[in-house]
Amino acid sequence: MNPNEDEKWQRLLLRSTPAFAGETAPPYGFVTGMLAGLRAEKRQQEELERIGWRALLASLAALVVAAAVTLSVNFRDRGGDFEPGIKTLVQMENIQVS
Amino acid sequence: MEEAIDVDGCLRRWKKGDEAAAEELIRHLFPVISKIVRLHLPRRDDETDLVQEILMKTFAKLHQYKGDAPISHWVSRLALTTCLDRLRAQKIRPEVRRADLTPEESDVFDTAWLTGSSPDASEAIAARDLVDKILSSLSPEDRSLILMVDLEGRSLQEISETMGWSVSKIKMRLFRIRPQLRQMIQKLEERT
Repeated sequence: MNPNEDEKWQRLLLRSTPAFAGETAPPYGFVTGMLAGLRAEKRQQEELERIGWRALLASLAALVVAAAVTLSVNFRDRGGDFEPGIKTLVQMENIQVS
Repeated sequence: MEEAIDVDGCLRRWKKGDEAAAEELIRHLFPVISKIVRLHLPRRDDETDLVQEILMKTFAKLHQYKGDAPISHWVSRLALTTCLDRLRAQKIRPEVRRADLTPEESDVFDTAWLTGSSPDASEAIAARDLVDKILSSLSPEDRSLILMVDLEGRSLQEISETMGWSVSKIKMRLFRIRPQLRQMIQKLEERT
């Protein structure tokens, strides 16, 4: 291996160094644009949270209604000794149950 | 690295919705990100857009920042990962040949030996484009690694913290990249 190539590479890098230096301050309008972007992001996140809460409350309400209906049906049918299907069969066939 | 601003205070204020704190953080982190993006910028990507994207990511992930290292280190890693992801999405170019160089790049290559006055802006840009061309046939990780070592002069330990690699892995990679680089320079010496 020729060390000349290494040296040439190092010199090339040295020449390019000024062009690789980053900016020290944001360009005009950058910060304003960033803040607007952050605001929009925050709003979107809050909106999503609100939608999430609403969905959670709606599903809880649906659960409560379903539980109430189930319980009320259960209480109404408590008088019989049979399952609903068997009860229908007994009524259809007019079987005497003592 | 010494933090020039009260980062913890800014983070607390930003959590409460204080935009002035966000502005302070943006101004503090901008030079850090800008430096990394310019060094590892994927071809054809807009620099300012990429800096903005990294800053947005930074704010979205601020809750993950534990405060055990300076925020600039944490953000550097995020910036480098984003640049590497972008670079991975691009095709690796075949090895550059002399005929692929612009006249300016060709001049810079031939006069690289000359010492003396520092290069003017156009020479520096031509040299940077040439360095980019030479490195574009390497993998994104190798490209970033060689720039951090040779251009920034960063220690292996620092690179290990930024890239999340062991020092021995970095040494191995460098050992593999060096001959490739020499070969590329040799090819460029051939005028035909």
